[in-house]
Amino acid sequence: MISWKRRDAGVGAAVLLLAVAATACGNSAGGTTTAGAAGSSGTASAPAAVAPLVVYSAQGYDAPVTKAFTAATGIPVKLDDDSTGPLLTKVSAERNNPQWDVLWVDGDTAFAALDKQGQLLDYTPPVTLTPAGQALVPADHAYIPVSTTVVPALIYNAAKAAGAAPTTWQDLAGAAYKGKVGMNDPSQSGPTYPLIAGLMNQLGGQNGGVKAGESFLTRLKGNGLHVFPTNGDTLHALETGQIDYGIIQSSAALGEVAKAPKNANFDPKIVYLPQSTLLPGVIGIDKGAPANLQAEAEKFVQYVLSPAGQAAMQSGDPSGDSLYWPVVPGVSPRAGMPPLPAQYQRLDPYFWGPLENQINTFFDTDIK
Amino acid sequence: MTAQSLEPSAPAPTVVPAPRGGLTGRRSAGGRLRAAPMAVFWALVVAILLLPIALFLLVAVSPRLFGQGGAWLTLDGFRGALSGPLLRGIGDSLLVGVASALLAAVLGGAVAWTVQRTAVPGRRVWSASMFALLLVPSYLIALGWERLLEPQGVLDLLGVPDGFARTLLYGPAGVIMVLTVKGIPFAYLAIGAGLRGLGEEFEAAVRVHGGGRAAAARTVAGLLAPALWSALAIVFAESVSDFGVAATLANDAHFPVATFALYNAVDNFPVQFPVAAAVGWVLLGMAGLALLAQSAALRGRSYRVLGGRTRPARRRALPKQAAAAAVAGMTLLVGACLGVPAFGAVSASLIDGLGSLLGSHGFTLSNYGRVLSSAALRQPLLFSTQLAAVTATVTVLLGLVVARTLTGRRSRRSARLLDLLLLAAVALPGIVFAAGYIFAYNLPLTNDLGIHLYQTTTLLVLGYVATALPPAARVLFGAAGQLQESMREAGRVHGHGPLGSWLRLTLPLLARPLLSAWSLTFGATVLELPVSQLLYPPDHPPVSVGIEKALANYDYGGGTAMQVIAILAALLVIALVWGVFRLAAPAGWRHLGRNA
Repeated sequence: MISWKRRDAGVGAAVLLLAVAATACGNSAGGTTTAGAAGSSGTASAPAAVAPLVVYSAQGYDAPVTKAFTAATGIPVKLDDDSTGPLLTKVSAERNNPQWDVLWVDGDTAFAALDKQGQLLDYTPPVTLTPAGQALVPADHAYIPVSTTVVPALIYNAAKAAGAAPTTWQDLAGAAYKGKVGMNDPSQSGPTYPLIAGLMNQLGGQNGGVKAGESFLTRLKGNGLHVFPTNGDTLHALETGQIDYGIIQSSAALGEVAKAPKNANFDPKIVYLPQSTLLPGVIGIDKGAPANLQAEAEKFVQYVLSPAGQAAMQSGDPSGDSLYWPVVPGVSPRAGMPPLPAQYQRLDPYFWGPLENQINTFFDTDIK
Repeated sequence: MTAQSLEPSAPAPTVVPAPRGGLTGRRSAGGRLRAAPMAVFWALVVAILLLPIALFLLVAVSPRLFGQGGAWLTLDGFRGALSGPLLRGIGDSLLVGVASALLAAVLGGAVAWTVQRTAVPGRRVWSASMFALLLVPSYLIALGWERLLEPQGVLDLLGVPDGFARTLLYGPAGVIMVLTVKGIPFAYLAIGAGLRGLGEEFEAAVRVHGGGRAAAARTVAGLLAPALWSALAIVFAESVSDFGVAATLANDAHFPVATFALYNAVDNFPVQFPVAAAVGWVLLGMAGLALLAQSAALRGRSYRVLGGRTRPARRRALPKQAAAAAVAGMTLLVGACLGVPAFGAVSASLIDGLGSLLGSHGFTLSNYGRVLSSAALRQPLLFSTQLAAVTATVTVLLGLVVARTLTGRRSRRSARLLDLLLLAAVALPGIVFAAGYIFAYNLPLTNDLGIHLYQTTTLLVLGYVATALPPAARVLFGAAGQLQESMREAGRVHGHGPLGSWLRLTLPLLARPLLSAWSLTFGATVLELPVSQLLYPPDHPPVSVGIEKALANYDYGGGTAMQVIAILAALLVIALVWGVFRLAAPAGWRHLGRNA
């Protein structure tokens, strides 16, 4: 009986695995066919069997951009569009067997870590970038900056803020701003760790910056700093009058100014505290991907940096991620955007990236 | 079962074992037929529960196996997990878990009793409210309360003094309150199922023998012990593994719980899976404590009270004052549980800038129009609904086998293993559970074997099933545990085959709990987020991923409108399923499961 049971169990398991494998194959085939069909609707003459490019992206405009790319090149794209946190969790969990060909998110610290792990393909696109863009390119060309925003943008309610807007970080620790300033939690808000690292870099560089930054954040806390989970929550606090000043990412601040109706009680305005830290939109290519997919990924980067690609980026999420500063010469930001703040700094992601957990833990423990 | 037992005139096979030998070939064939479904069941349990959980937990001690570090064997993950804020988080989680389990059991039990044993007006409304509450994500409940009590919130705008309530909300009491609210329907379902099967013979027997109401209540509580412990264990495990409240209210209140520390480990780059896995071990340990308590309390006793002779209990008519008090109590409870989050979602999606300084505060349907007119938003909803229907059906079938295995008289070891696996699935937050799926099904070895499950709809559904199986099994556990084995045996003696006796005897008794479990699974799956985020096939995002992105991009109007539409769609499907049951199911099925 025991032997029969074992055999039955084996048969059962084999049947299950076969069924599952068959379904899975069906699914994969379905996915490829769909993507292929999408590709065939393109204008270019790519062969029907061209392998789809798998893009993991957290950009608000990624769907229209990938569609435009397929239309322009005939290369089908499978898009995994999600927030940065889950995408990076997925990339890490896949480390033994990456499924992505292209990773496209804001911030370069994660890319520096992936580069250190040997996961990124070095690639230099045939485009000369603006000075800000060039400042963001890593020495080994392991990833490609394709746009930039800045942190922080200080958004404030001019209807309630009686005096002048702050002009420096130090102002925010003064009595005039007591209990009126809010920022995001770096554990939950992607752009906020670069914001804090930028503050630290500005206050003390790579040698004493962490300590100086921690001390300044402690002063802000003593002055009644409010901490909210993400950009959206900080903006909600500003709209409801819980705070009068919010320290957030530029695209979120610009979006709020563009969207929110203004009246006698609410009139959002933005100032950029020196120094602004560049927070680039970055693309990385999987070093382990097959050569044909790497070639497709390089074409994708070229397309994103082309005028057509930039146009798709700027129209895809008009009150959100599209509010960036281009790093391609000759491409203007969306209408109504101010010029890139003149006083900006570039963070070294290879230095500041590995400190993220340590600094976030400090923030969780001592500032929140 | 041998072929002999299929003959009506054959002696009872359970008491006259057939001799070994002569019928070996036929017995083996029959044995194979019986064993094969169980083999498939166990293979599925291994594939969807054991493998992903084990591989994820393995990362804590051997990160290099999955490319998550340099060490083949290390305890660094535990050192990282058991230092600093996490220790406080573990203590907070224990407090929150125990308190919310006790409160939810009391409140859920009271609702079940009121609905099933009294003629309180509006019983169906209260009963339906419990189901609706199952569909509300915990973070929505938290956000609803925050919207009401935050500075410049609704109560502030209305001039209602809310300082004390705000202090309570933004602290342990608020976190416990929200998790209790989320736990009430689980407790209601578990205790309600037990109560329904109990009938009132036992109370009547106590009263006939001179016992008072208190003695009857004690007897009933004793007989309901499996359901009560089931409720306590599941609410505890759900509470300690909940992330929705941890990320919203608990975070805003600066009240760290263990799941948030775990989230920090996996959501910040570089991702620290070994630390997350070590936290997973801790959460598992906490859930194990609940299991131990449950097992110690029930050991060596029998609670088999559900049989063919069980008569549904009568509903007690309430005097006017008592009825008014009961209605007021239920209204208050449902208002706090459902009304507040509903208000939060509706105010965000229907009213422009409520509570803000924006001034307009106008009523608008534009957010709904935007969602309904966009194919990019509609298709995910349809996709999620289809997946939820498949998931619910598979989960209920598996859940029934699980419930029978857990309550069966045989294979205690396999029952314990299964119970442990289910509790592990509850205790581990969805995001790490899903990461375990990636570790298990994205192995180069698996791909070399030609199995490409990762990033397919199949794996997503399997992940959903694994997530939904523990609560579904818990819902069925109470009723399945009370099912008297003698009924099925009597059916077999009277000539029914295994399937026939199940269909004629077991299914009618379990039809309502099965439908409850289906509804629960369906509703929870439609809005499931963490597994969806990590396992969804590219180009086919489920609706929860779209909602999360909208909310993250500060499109509260669009995001909450999508939530409201998804919840309404789920309720509509559930209402349809129950409607069909009422119209098409045999009268006996409906009668057996009804609250008398």
